[in-house]
Amino acid sequence: MASRKQRFADERLLQLLAEQIKLPLMQIARQAELASVSDQPIKLLGVIEDTADSSLKLLDSYLLSLRLAGVKSSIQLEPVSVSAVLNETAQSLSNLAKQYDCKLELHLAGRYEPIMAHRAGLEAALTSLGYVFIEAQSVLPKHNDTPVIKLAAHRGKNGIVAGMFANLDGLSSDVYKRAHHLFGQAHQPLSHLTAGSGAGVFVADSLLQSMSARLRVAHHQKLSGLAATFATSSQLNLI
Amino acid sequence: MGQCYHSILTKKGYKVKWFRSTGAAIASLEQDLPELVITELQLPMHNGVEFLYEFRSYQDLSDIPIMILTHVPPLFKAFNASQWQQLGVAAYHYKPLTKLADLSRSVDRLLAPVT
Repeated sequence: MASRKQRFADERLLQLLAEQIKLPLMQIARQAELASVSDQPIKLLGVIEDTADSSLKLLDSYLLSLRLAGVKSSIQLEPVSVSAVLNETAQSLSNLAKQYDCKLELHLAGRYEPIMAHRAGLEAALTSLGYVFIEAQSVLPKHNDTPVIKLAAHRGKNGIVAGMFANLDGLSSDVYKRAHHLFGQAHQPLSHLTAGSGAGVFVADSLLQSMSARLRVAHHQKLSGLAATFATSSQLNLI
Repeated sequence: MGQCYHSILTKKGYKVKWFRSTGAAIASLEQDLPELVITELQLPMHNGVEFLYEFRSYQDLSDIPIMILTHVPPLFKAFNASQWQQLGVAAYHYKPLTKLADLSRSVDRLLAPVT
């Protein structure tokens, strides 16, 4: 049976998700309204489709996080190719990135042995993070160049670090820690990253926790971001 | 969302300037004074209410009406009606329930010549 603390965290996550989902629904409603008076309604239909697709994926990720949390003790982690997962995540985020005028880049600093993870869970976590980063870049003050978001992996002290990185001022471990305290109590728990509820970050963290990994602030090249460290598959190392 | 609001107001014939930061918005006022300011309260790295106080601290901007268009539901409004009035807030719209047509009507009303 779930502890009281866990139930409280679940309720707060659901609340954040409800807040988050309002945004794309609102975008769909307003884009549809704009399409009805626009000379180019077809162009807007594409935006509506991408917005709806990304919201559905976020909801799916949340449901997956619930399922995985429910069977946490019996989750079988398996060797997963981090580059394949990052590639697939980049593909599923590419339309949304285009819509928000962001450049989404994939950066793998080398070849890696497989990591121990739950493949669908990892992809869902990275995709959820991607939504937050893409949305964040669209509302943060723009510098001269097109904002770049990197979906990246590198080798860390304790394994392979995989996550999402961008040119974000002020995202630090303290800010992220504070966001966890504010989680469920503030409209903008992670205001250095997003003006919204940032539900995608907490959904990603919940998914990663089911795999015994934790989301944390990390750096890749000169960018800051959120990432998790995964142990490599020692079984395959021997082969 | 900003693009939607920008498009509908431009289509109605208004000249719209869209800023992603309060700093850029304040800086632009040195060149051109607006007839109406529309702002969100929930801004990344900024507090919309602080922006309102800063905006009102400039004497030459004291008569410009402000419209709040925000994700913050009316129930959570930090201020009561008279406090908003003191800050020169002429209209408060809750984004999820404000259609583009409502926004457009509200702007028309606020910018209509006084007879």
